[in-house]
Amino acid sequence: MSVSLSFTLLEAIHVHGARAYPEEGAGLLLGAFEGNVRRVTRLLPLGNHFRPESRTRRYLISPRDLLAAEDEAERLGLEVVGVFHSHPDHPARASEFDTQWALPVYSYLITQVQAGVAIESRSWRLAEDRGMMTEEPLRVSDTPDAEEA
Amino acid sequence: MTTIRIPTPLRPYTGGSKEVDVTGGTVGAALVDLTVRYPDVRRHLFEEAGGLRPYVNVFLNDADIRTLQSEATPLQSADRLMIVPSIAGGTAEAPGVPVDHAALRANQASIILLLVAAFVFNAAWLVAVVALVILAGTALGRPGFLWVYILLRRIGLSKPDVLRDHPQPHRFAQGLGGAFLVAGLGAAWLGLPWLSWGLVWLVIVLAAVNLFAGFCVGCALYYWLHRLGLPGFRVGPPPSTFPGQRPGKAP
Repeated sequence: MSVSLSFTLLEAIHVHGARAYPEEGAGLLLGAFEGNVRRVTRLLPLGNHFRPESRTRRYLISPRDLLAAEDEAERLGLEVVGVFHSHPDHPARASEFDTQWALPVYSYLITQVQAGVAIESRSWRLAEDRGMMTEEPLRVSDTPDAEEA
Repeated sequence: MTTIRIPTPLRPYTGGSKEVDVTGGTVGAALVDLTVRYPDVRRHLFEEAGGLRPYVNVFLNDADIRTLQSEATPLQSADRLMIVPSIAGGTAEAPGVPVDHAALRANQASIILLLVAAFVFNAAWLVAVVALVILAGTALGRPGFLWVYILLRRIGLSKPDVLRDHPQPHRFAQGLGGAFLVAGLGAAWLGLPWLSWGLVWLVIVLAAVNLFAGFCVGCALYYWLHRLGLPGFRVGPPPSTFPGQRPGKAP
């Protein structure tokens, strides 16, 4: 189990999280399932649809946005392989709320944004019994082998 | 026969199928039939208690079933169902514990009524009683006039208003009110009635600001002292809440 993406894409995720600060920023990871590896080749940054007063601690991607994203992915010959979101002033660890709402199969890439600066990203996946999210290696390649976001 | 569209992350549980044909007269029955055919999908659609998980949205021919009759929505043979998840998450739950603000308000109302009565009837002993009750409450870590709230609840005149908050600042605010009243009694003893009743009125006004405007000045003071790093003032204000402001409802 691992997620692989280029340094450029990771940078774009960090920029999205920093721009959203102090709110949570989120989007979808598009790419391909290659066995147990999710190879991310494109990002789809999306708006946070949670109630405005709670967006500093919550994000929501609407079902309509997800449907449109799945169509877009199909058009590009890709799949939605995961979700990225930021934790403003909180560690890049999957919270209980993240676990409750997590879907199987997807990789959840979480970025800690501390005082507006993206610090660290870690990737998590829901355990089969839904009991917890386990961390998976995040492999960042220096050479951009992917299309830009 | 109804066709259900399965979202990508659940397809491994339906043998990779993007669409599955099911039977059932209602949306609920169709979903149950899906879980009978593919038992592994069940725990990702339904909570252990039986209801649909919060992220599960079901659309019947593009209409969210919540805008129809939810799971009881009847199905026609050519209908098409779509399961589309909402994707959500976020940081750890806000720090704090449930605090019943209705109990705090009953306390403030009791303090205001009794102190105004004490002023009207020039009854310093009543000020002493209020001071004693709220200082005892502070020592016990609860509103001094909690019993008034319990009584109001019992006769159906009040209902709980539980918010995620910190109890310590409210305890500090109540203690501060008690200290002002004791100082007021001291001033009366020293023959300074204007200072004495001035302090009593200060407590009345602060309790009223809290009761009617939802702003706890004593709590604000607590949070400012916390910001200055004073020992004993351990907690900061709840997230996205101005120090002293009543916190919003939990999401």
